[in-house]
Amino acid sequence: MSSTVVAAPNILVDRFSKAFAIFMRDARLAKSYDLQFYFQWFTIAIQVVAFFFIAKLTSGSPMVKRHVPGGDYFTWVIIGLAFSRFQTMAIQCFQMAVRNDQMLGTLEVVLATPTGLPTVVLSAGLWAFVLTSCQVIFFLLVAVPFGLNLSHTNFLTMIVFLILIVVCMSSIGVMAAATIMTYKQNAGTGFIAGSSASLLGGVQFPVSLLPLWLQKVSWCLPITHALNGMRDAVAGMSLVQTWYDAIWLCVATAILLPISLFYFHRAVQRAKMDGTLGHY
Amino acid sequence: MIVVDRLVKSFPTMYGIMPTIKHFGRIPRREVLHSISLSVRRGELFGLLGANGAGKTTLLKMLATLSIPDSGTIQIDGINAVRNPMAAKRKIGLCTSEERSFYFRLSARQNLEFFGTLMGVRGKALRKRIKEVIGMVDLGSAMDRPFSGFSSGMRQRLTVARALIADPPLLFFDEPTRAVDPVHAEELRRMIRDDLVLKMGKTVVLATNLLDEAWALCDTIAVLKQGEVVACGPPNSLDTNFTRMLRYQIVVDQLDDALVERAKAIPGLSLFESSISAEGFVLDIEIAPSELSLTQLLSAVSSNGATVRAFRTETVRPIDIFSDLIRVTDDDE
Repeated sequence: MSSTVVAAPNILVDRFSKAFAIFMRDARLAKSYDLQFYFQWFTIAIQVVAFFFIAKLTSGSPMVKRHVPGGDYFTWVIIGLAFSRFQTMAIQCFQMAVRNDQMLGTLEVVLATPTGLPTVVLSAGLWAFVLTSCQVIFFLLVAVPFGLNLSHTNFLTMIVFLILIVVCMSSIGVMAAATIMTYKQNAGTGFIAGSSASLLGGVQFPVSLLPLWLQKVSWCLPITHALNGMRDAVAGMSLVQTWYDAIWLCVATAILLPISLFYFHRAVQRAKMDGTLGHY
Repeated sequence: MIVVDRLVKSFPTMYGIMPTIKHFGRIPRREVLHSISLSVRRGELFGLLGANGAGKTTLLKMLATLSIPDSGTIQIDGINAVRNPMAAKRKIGLCTSEERSFYFRLSARQNLEFFGTLMGVRGKALRKRIKEVIGMVDLGSAMDRPFSGFSSGMRQRLTVARALIADPPLLFFDEPTRAVDPVHAEELRRMIRDDLVLKMGKTVVLATNLLDEAWALCDTIAVLKQGEVVACGPPNSLDTNFTRMLRYQIVVDQLDDALVERAKAIPGLSLFESSISAEGFVLDIEIAPSELSLTQLLSAVSSNGATVRAFRTETVRPIDIFSDLIRVTDDDE
């Protein structure tokens, strides 16, 4: 029997190299669709300019002064728009990864390799999160000349909330991917997440404008607390001052992440039982 | 190396959320593999042969841990592949029949780098191994071209290369020569038989529809029919044990209705066809080996005043054996 070339598995190195391989695959695929890749940066710039003029229209409005801290709607909405991209991306990237692999016929081959399911699933979001982080930075940089004020930002608070947004939203994204694995179709999770964030998450207008019962619904959404934390960070607040939203997100993550991974594992097991792993 | 014991597999008869609700999560299932048992020795080239839908790919996917059996066990090199699939996967290289199973926008090299890393090969070892396997499938000059530009045959050869990257002791090939041109198909067969099995001592399970391929390559062949193993053994034992009829061709100088009637009445003679050639009247006959039918036929020819001009034994072809084994009887239907 010939010897195998597979090195003795050092679990950490093994997982890191596999995650990096998945990251590189996604980066290369994204780069290969170059028109789409470059166009998305252009749309970010357009969005910033559009909201600059909307903010000018509302400047001085008593409603803005009452509901937006500091009365600076432009800074407020840019933070909402920029960081809500993480939610959209987290919810879409995992299910798109599963869907693409199903359609290309690569899912079975990937799952036939000795790579753990959490590595396969969670690494599928790496490139998307790196790209989104770059887009958010670009979003903020473009907005600075138009009046975005980041001078008071508490970066520690921002980084902590960034991590919490990514992990918490990824849990929802993994659940969406599990649904794709089971039912082979997008159940509209991207649309639901996007519209719920726009309407109830305080992305484009303050939650305090909503009727009381909708404010209660808004409280249940991770995006609401994530954006509260981000806006507080931009306003210079410390982690101690933003503890409530941080704890909310930590608890939600602690509940959602294991549930989502368990749900995905069950979805794969079910697909293996039903012989539908490669179906789409 | 592989021991499969009483493996049963079924699939749902319908999919989707509405049937799930309608049947309270218990959608009726259709059994596609019925209590399959077989064993593959280390260093053996084992063929899975069957008509379309016989269950070859389903069985192969279960061996590759991509599908979970309803019941039964699969042992791969002593590992319970159903309970511990991750350990079993480290022993396996899978060559699918699905030629699309690559990233179209990436080059062949980038694809192999990706899959190789997931198989646990890294860095210099991976680069060296990629060079070796692409040489084995003769794709060296195309390695940096996008996979989308590959022909069907090249794609199929790349799936073979991918299965070999981690140099696993056990290889599963699902119709590896499908869509491959005759020259490369022959090279692939030679590589599987001579290089992988004989030189490197690998164990290979080969699912194929091609009878000649299975007969020429495999040490053991399992014939599947509607989810059951109907025959299993070396090709020569299948020739002996499962050929129920012997075929002969007899050329006579004269043939009349009386001789035809007498011949057809001979017990054990299942086929009697006549035609005319330059040699004379050609009789194609099929006779059960244990009967004295051939003697009776020859005496009928002689007593009818005809002379035998030629007598030929027809070689039993794999297709005859295979057809015999998978013939659908009324009971099956």
